[in-house]
Amino acid sequence: MTTPETKLGPIDIEVIRNALTAAAAEMDVTVWRTSRSTIVRELLDYSTAVFDAEGWNLAQSARIPGHLNSMSAALRTLLSDHVRAEDWGPDDVVITNDPYCGGQHLPDIIAFRPVFHEGARIAYVGTLCHHIDVGGLVAGSYPSKATEIFQEGLRIPPVKLIEKGVRNEAVWAIIRQNIRKPDLLLGDLQSQIASLEVGRQALARLALRFGAAAMLEAGRRILDMSEAAMRAALAEMPDGTYDFTDRLDDDGIDLGREIRLHVRLTIAGDTALVDLSGCSPQVQGPTNATLASSNAAVMFALMSAALGGGRGGGLAMNAGCYRPITVVAPEGLVVNARAPAPVAHRVAVTHRLLNAMYGALHQAVPERIPAAYYGCSYVTTFQTVRADARRDVLVEIEIGGSGATPHKDGVSAYASGMHNNSNIPVEMIEAQMPLTIMRYALLPGTGGDGTWRGGLGLVREWRIDSARCFFTANMDRFFSQPYGLAGGLPASTGRLELLRDGKATPIPPKSDNVPLVQGDIVRLSTSGGGGFGAPGERDPALAARDRRMGYLA
Amino acid sequence: MPQQDPPRPVRIAVDIGGTFTDLQVLDARHGEVRAWKTPTTPEDPSDGLLTGVREAAERFGFALSDVGLLLHGTTIATNAVLERRLARGALVTTQGFEDVLEITRHVRRDVYGLAPDPFPCLIPRDRRLGVRERLRADGSVEVPLDLGTLLQRLDALQPEAIAISLLHAYANPAHERALRAAILAAHPGLPVSLSSDISPEIREYERSSTTVLNALLVPVVRDYLRRLAARLGRDGFAPRIFLVQSNGGVCSLETAAEQPARLLLSGPSGGALAASRLAGELAQPNLVAVDMGGTSYDVSVVQEGRVALVTQGEVDGLPVRLPMVEMRTIGAGGGSIAAVEAGGRLVVGPRSAGARPGPVAYGRGGTEPTVTDANLALGRLDPDFFLGGAMQLDMGAAHAALAALGARLGLDGAAAAEGMLALTNAALAAAVRLSLFEKGLHPRDFALLSFGGAGGLHAVAVAEEMGMEQVILPREPGTLSAYGILFSDLVQDIARSRLFTLDEAALPGLAALIAELRAEAAARLARDGVAEADRALSVAADMRYHGQAFELLVPWGDVLAPDATALAYLAARFHATHRQRFSYAAEEEAVEIVTLRVTATGRLPRPAPASPAKADRPARKGARKIFAGGAWVEAGVWDREALGAADVLHGPAIIEEAFATHVLPQGWTARLGAAGAIIARKDAAA
Repeated sequence: MTTPETKLGPIDIEVIRNALTAAAAEMDVTVWRTSRSTIVRELLDYSTAVFDAEGWNLAQSARIPGHLNSMSAALRTLLSDHVRAEDWGPDDVVITNDPYCGGQHLPDIIAFRPVFHEGARIAYVGTLCHHIDVGGLVAGSYPSKATEIFQEGLRIPPVKLIEKGVRNEAVWAIIRQNIRKPDLLLGDLQSQIASLEVGRQALARLALRFGAAAMLEAGRRILDMSEAAMRAALAEMPDGTYDFTDRLDDDGIDLGREIRLHVRLTIAGDTALVDLSGCSPQVQGPTNATLASSNAAVMFALMSAALGGGRGGGLAMNAGCYRPITVVAPEGLVVNARAPAPVAHRVAVTHRLLNAMYGALHQAVPERIPAAYYGCSYVTTFQTVRADARRDVLVEIEIGGSGATPHKDGVSAYASGMHNNSNIPVEMIEAQMPLTIMRYALLPGTGGDGTWRGGLGLVREWRIDSARCFFTANMDRFFSQPYGLAGGLPASTGRLELLRDGKATPIPPKSDNVPLVQGDIVRLSTSGGGGFGAPGERDPALAARDRRMGYLA
Repeated sequence: MPQQDPPRPVRIAVDIGGTFTDLQVLDARHGEVRAWKTPTTPEDPSDGLLTGVREAAERFGFALSDVGLLLHGTTIATNAVLERRLARGALVTTQGFEDVLEITRHVRRDVYGLAPDPFPCLIPRDRRLGVRERLRADGSVEVPLDLGTLLQRLDALQPEAIAISLLHAYANPAHERALRAAILAAHPGLPVSLSSDISPEIREYERSSTTVLNALLVPVVRDYLRRLAARLGRDGFAPRIFLVQSNGGVCSLETAAEQPARLLLSGPSGGALAASRLAGELAQPNLVAVDMGGTSYDVSVVQEGRVALVTQGEVDGLPVRLPMVEMRTIGAGGGSIAAVEAGGRLVVGPRSAGARPGPVAYGRGGTEPTVTDANLALGRLDPDFFLGGAMQLDMGAAHAALAALGARLGLDGAAAAEGMLALTNAALAAAVRLSLFEKGLHPRDFALLSFGGAGGLHAVAVAEEMGMEQVILPREPGTLSAYGILFSDLVQDIARSRLFTLDEAALPGLAALIAELRAEAAARLARDGVAEADRALSVAADMRYHGQAFELLVPWGDVLAPDATALAYLAARFHATHRQRFSYAAEEEAVEIVTLRVTATGRLPRPAPASPAKADRPARKGARKIFAGGAWVEAGVWDREALGAADVLHGPAIIEEAFATHVLPQGWTARLGAAGAIIARKDAAA
C-alpha cells in the first residue's frame, strides 16, 4: 500500500491511539449492555477489538487473556483463506466459530466488520463472545468425551451474517435450528452486531477529524512503536535457548496417558523463536488446541514477561508486539490440531502451554517469572432434577493459588493465567437452586513450600438437595503438579470426591453426567501455586505467620 | 414547607479535604451565602473545623452562638481505611466460611501482571472465627446456633471491635442478634456490628466486607465525634451537627457512630448535591458534573434533576455495599505528570505530582512537567494571579521543563504543552462519554457542569470534543461541594434482601416487608428529631429477570400496601428501565425482586439564598496572549466577580477568579446566568 503524505506528530498518534482504545471500550460496554446470557454478563466471557486495514490488532478491551491476541489471527485467516477483502463491503458482517478457520472452540463466535472512509477501507472492528450453547453432545457444548468436532456443536464457516445491511435469513435460520437456547444466542449475536456498529461510528468520527490517510499512517506507526518497545524488551533478555516441559494429565478418553507440552524458546537479539515441535501429537479427546489458541498463550506469556510483572505501563498491547515473535508448531500436534479433532477443552492446553512458556522464560529472566499457578479452569456443571421433574443448571468456574514470585508469596485463590472469571455467591446459589454449599475455604498446605510460598488452593462442597442431579466436570492437574522454581517445591494436585453415606470416593476429573442423589456431597479441592526458592531460606517470621494463620497443613 | 430556622439563624456547611477545609455559610437574616477556606489539620480535623468557623464568624459578622446547624462532610472514615488506622477486630461467621473474606470474588484487574498483591483483607485468618449454625435462604434454621468455645476464643484475641456476618442473615437476624447478646454479656460496651443491621442484602462477600469495615471504623469515628463534641458549648457554639453520608444526604451523630461505613465515599456527595440543586436553579435537568482537582477527575450524571446513585461502591479495593453517588474517576488533574514512555509515546498521568512537590512552577522541587505547567506556559494561567495572587508561579521553570519534554519528542516546548492538553482533554472526554454511554444516554442531551480548581481550564475543550453545546461554570467552583452540603437533607436508607417473584401471590409478603421497613425508617427519623410533617418516604426495588445475575434499581414511589395496580406499575417501570439501559425488555419473562429499599428523608429547614452581589469594578481586566491551535492569539481577560448580566464574552477569552481560571476558546460565547453561574454556549455554525 502506498503511503500518502500526512503531517501527523507524536501527539496526534497518541490521541488516535487513545481514541482507538476508547472505541474498543465503547464496543465492550455495548456488548455488556445489550447481551442476554449470564455467561457474557456475569462471567464477562467476551472481548472487543479494533484492527487496521490488514487485520492487525490495534487496540482491545482487556478481559480474557485467552481472547486477547487471538482475534487478529482469526481475522487474518479469514482474509487470506475465506473472504476476499474486495468483496467485503462496509455493511457486511462476517462471522465464524470454526476453530479450523481461525477460531478457538465452537462456543466462541467471532464477528467482524470493515470500516470505510471516503471509499477507502481504514480498519476492521471485531467482537468475540462465548455463547451459552451451540448444540452438540451436551448442553453448554463443553463435552469432555467428544472424539470429533462434529459432536461439539454447530460449526459456522466464515459467512456473511449481514450482507449490504440486510440479514442473511438463511444463516440465521440454520443457527436457530441447531442450538438449545436460540433466544439467548441470537440475542447475544445481535449485541455483537450492535457493538460493531458502535465501533464503526467511533472510527468514522476519528476519520472525519484526521482523514483516511492519517488513520492508516497512525495505525502503522502505533504498531511500529509497540514493535520497537517489544524488541527493546526482548533485547534486554539474555540470548539463549531455553527448554521446558510441562504435562496435562490426559485427554479424558485415554486415561492416565500424559500429554506433553514442550517449549523451546530461543531469544536471539531482539527476537524470540518459540518452537512447539516437541509437544505431543493431537489426542482423541477434546484436549486439543488450534494454532490460534496456542498463539494466544505464547503471546500472553511473552507480553506479560516483557512488562516484567508491572515494570511500568509503557508497552501498548497490540499486534506490533507479535512481530518479533515466531511460533513453530507443526500441524497434527496437540497445539495445532488437524480437523476434525475435538477442541472443546482447548483452555486446558493453553493453561499448560502458558505454564511451559513461563518455565522456559524463568531461565531467561529469573527475576520476573513466578512458579506455576494452578493451571486449570475448574469447570463444574450441576443439572438438578426436582421430584416434579423441574430442572435447573449451575455452571461454576473455580480457581486455585498463584505461583510464588522471586520476591513474594503467591496469592491464595487468585484467578491467574489464561482465564479470569468471577465466582458465584453461595447465597445466590442457595436462593435459586436445590443445592447447599457446605464449605468454601482456603486449603492449608496446598501451596508449594519455598523461600516464597505458593498461594493456597481452595475447597468447595456442594450438597445435592434435589431428588436427582447430573454432574459434569472438565479438569486437569490431578496428577501433574504445578511446578516450583529455583528450588521451590511443587504445589498439591487437585481432587474431586463424592461423599455418600459417610464415605469419600474419587470422581474422575473429566466426567460427563455423573448421576447423583439427594444428600450426596461433591467436594472439589483445587491446586495451590508452586513455591519459589529453597524452603530452608524462608524468613522464619513468615513461617511463623503461616503457622499462626493456619496456612500450612 | 418553608420553615424558619430556629432562633440560631446561621447554617454552616464544612467540607474537610486533604489540603483545605472549605466552609459555606448561610445567614438567614439576609440570605447571603459566603465561602471561606482554611488549612486542614490532619491530626485532628475538628481543630481546623473550629478555626474555620471562628475565622468565618469574624469575617462575616456572626456570633458562634448564632450557628444553629453544622453540616459536616468528612473523609475521616475513608482516610482511616486508606491509612489502615483501624481498630483490631475479629469476625464471627458461619463455620466453614471463615475464608470468604480472603477468597473475595476472584476477578483480577491487572490482566498482564506477574507479581500480584492479594486483595486487601482487613481481618486476618487467625481472627476469623466460625460458629456452628446454618440458615436457609428463606430464613429458616437448618442448624441451630451453638456458641461452642466462641467466647473463650474471643477472650484470647482481645478484639477492639467485632463484626458478625452469618450466611443468609439478611433473611433472619436471629442468630446474629443472639451472638451479639452473648458477646456483650461477656464484654459490655465492646463495639459489635451485625451484617443484618449494616447491609442486610444477599451476597455474602460484599455483606461481610461492608460489615467488617463498619466494625473497624466504629472506635475511630467515635473518638472523632467525642473530640468534636468536646469543642461544643464553648463561646455559645452549640449547633445541631449532621454528617454527610455517601448517599447524598446527612445523618445524625448517633447514626454515624453506629454505622460509620455510611461516611465512606461521602466525598462526592457534596458536589453531586450541588449539581442536582443547580440543575433546578438553571432549569437544566440533564447535567454531567465533572470535578477536576490536582490529581483526579470525577464524573457524575444528573438525569432529570436527580443524581444517579448506585447500591455499591469500593474503597481501596474493598466493596462497600451502601447506596452512594455513582462516580467515574480517572487519574487526571492539574498535577498529572507528562512523560515519554517506551517506543516514544507521550503519556499524561496517572502519575501525579500532587501538592508536594507539585507542578514545576510551584518551585517546591518538582522537575517533571504537569498539566498545570502546560496551562501556565500557554498563557491560560497568570503567574501573578494564581490563587488570586496568593502564590507566585515560576514561568521560567515551567518553560524549561516543557522544552526538555518536547526535545524528546522532536517538538518545541509550546507544541509539547499543547499536546499534553490535547491528550488530557481527550482522556477527560472519553471518561464523560463512557459515563453517559453505559447508561444509554447521549452527550447532545446534556450540558457539562464543570467545577474543581482545574475544571474551568478544560471544560469547554472537553465539551467541544464531545459535541456538547453548553458548559456551566458555577460560582465558587473550588468550594462547590460545601455549597451542595449546605442544602442537604437527612437521608436514611434501609434495605432488606428477600426474593419475590413479581406476581399477585407476592403482595402480602411485599406489604409486610414494606411495612416493616417503613416502621424502621420512621423510628430512625423520629430518633433524629424530624417532625412528621418534614418526613418523606419512598420505596425502591432491586429487580431482575429470572436467571439474571445482577439487578436494576427501580423507584416505586411512596408505596404503603401495594395492590395489583402498583405491582403492574413497578413491572412496567422495570421493563422500561431495562430497555433504556440494556436496549431490550423481555416482558414475557418472570421478574424478580431481590432487595427492597426504603429511603427516608427528613427535610431540614431551607432558607432561600439571596443572589450574590457583583463586585464594583470593571469586568474586563485586560488581554494576554494564549497559545491555541499552534499559534499565539490575543484573548480578553475578565474578572468573574465583576461580571454583570450585560457582559457578553466572546472566545478566545480568559475568566479569572480567586481560586479558578476558565478558558473560553474561539467559537464560544459566555454570559452570566442564574445562581451566578457562567453559561458558555457554542456559537451557531457560520
